[in-house]
Amino acid sequence: MDHMTAVTFTEVTKSYGDVRAVDGLTLDLRPGETVALLGPNGAGKSTALDLLLGLRHPDSGTVRVFGTSPREAITAGRVGAMLQSGGLMGEVTVGELVRLACDLHPRPRRVGDVLSQAGIAQIADRKVDKLSGGQEQRVRFALATAGANDLIVLDEPTTGMDVTARQAFWATMREQADQGRAVLFATHYLEEADAIADRVLVLHRGRLLADGTAAEIKARAGARKVAFDLAEMDEAVTGRLRQLPFLTALDVSGHTVRLQSADADATVHALYGLGLYPHNLEVAGLGLEQAFVAITEAEEAKTR
Amino acid sequence: MTNTLASRGLIKLEITRALRNRKFLFFSVVYPVLLFVIVSNTQGGVPDSRLSLSAYMMVSMASFGALTAVLMGNSERIAKERESGWVRQLRLTPLPGRGYVLAKTASAAVVSLPSILVVFAVAALFKGVRFAAWQWLALSGAIWAGSLCFAALGVAIGYLASGDTVRPITMIVYFGLSLLGGLWMPATTFPQWLQSVASWLPTHAYAALGQAIELGGAPHAKDVILLAAYFLLFAGGAAWLYRKDTLKA
Repeated sequence: MDHMTAVTFTEVTKSYGDVRAVDGLTLDLRPGETVALLGPNGAGKSTALDLLLGLRHPDSGTVRVFGTSPREAITAGRVGAMLQSGGLMGEVTVGELVRLACDLHPRPRRVGDVLSQAGIAQIADRKVDKLSGGQEQRVRFALATAGANDLIVLDEPTTGMDVTARQAFWATMREQADQGRAVLFATHYLEEADAIADRVLVLHRGRLLADGTAAEIKARAGARKVAFDLAEMDEAVTGRLRQLPFLTALDVSGHTVRLQSADADATVHALYGLGLYPHNLEVAGLGLEQAFVAITEAEEAKTR
Repeated sequence: MTNTLASRGLIKLEITRALRNRKFLFFSVVYPVLLFVIVSNTQGGVPDSRLSLSAYMMVSMASFGALTAVLMGNSERIAKERESGWVRQLRLTPLPGRGYVLAKTASAAVVSLPSILVVFAVAALFKGVRFAAWQWLALSGAIWAGSLCFAALGVAIGYLASGDTVRPITMIVYFGLSLLGGLWMPATTFPQWLQSVASWLPTHAYAALGQAIELGGAPHAKDVILLAAYFLLFAGGAAWLYRKDTLKA
């Protein structure tokens, strides 16, 4: 058995009719990693997770989880998952449902531990049908962590939670990651990916567009914004600005210059080297959100 | 093997849930008994049969109760739980896919046994229906075992229908089979052409098992074969629909 990778996708393709939801996807997840899966709607995130969990089968290519098929990995109790589309059994209490998940798992954790870690111990006697959206998400999380899994897969886990609940959720999630479990989560909230993930995968039209740490992704998109004013401004100056190293975007309006740079230190240094004297110099980090938009827009422009 | 053990947790919870659902218990246990008491109040026998009306209706209503428990218990819940995503959630657990169907059928069977026994008890205590001990045992066994056929039908409907359409479809099948199969009134009272249609229905064969035992004999081969054929048809259909649903994810 291959212990080196938690998940391996090799040239995986899945189409629905004419639409290629996942298009030649190749990637590895290592044990113990916390990985965010980002992508605009329709990028193929949910399909990729379905393939990873064996809910769908690829048209071509292979998906291996801990060296076996997804179904075998689930049967061996190595994978726990929380899907948006996953419903809950009605007419039973939260405690009964979590106990069932523990009963079904080959390497179960204690029911009490699962309940308290998911923050639902105090609603264990409540009927599942009478929960709020955020509470339902916590119950789903409890089902995904009912056993000693080596990989936890979460599809937009904090949807429907308010900010406080979201923070509490990620604190719980970090405990899981700290115990050496690999965590893969798809999210719309880029700040979550930025704050939590060791690694960020950007999916676009079923293909892997970027793969790296949040910092690397930001760098790739032009990580920093630099803004300043120039007293003298003409065509020649603009021309010289275009020569700046690591420049990824340039916008000149009146005397104000706004640019993005993959290496702000080098760019600003070169600015003085050109004999320019910027006033009101500001250097700010580009959020992952902007980086993400930049990367996917660049890709859209290429395919157009 | 571990998977069979794992299924036990689900079977246990499904049974708890079925016993907690008052509406379901009313329809499958209380309702057949009420109908039995009302119908068997009429004196006299059944046309073309040596059985008393009480004895005849006892088997009909016990069969009807078991049919209600297994058909309704499976179809509506499976369709609703497919739609809610619970079936999908279960596929993320080590539970084998058929474990879900097994648990549903087992819990329905647990409810169907009391619905048979309560009708028998009322018939024996209040309506003076008398049989030999072996006949009571054989009746319970035959009606309970025969209900498997309808459990399979319930699974098939559950995988065929959506959450919105499952109730009307189940009701049409349920009332159609009950009425035409002669569970509510002896099929011998039907016009001749309807009688010949009825004699090929699974519910007719199902009630005929019990009536043959009441007359002191073994069930007729035609009824047993017919019921077995329907079972294979429903179970095969259910398996096919289940697979189709799984591929759809």
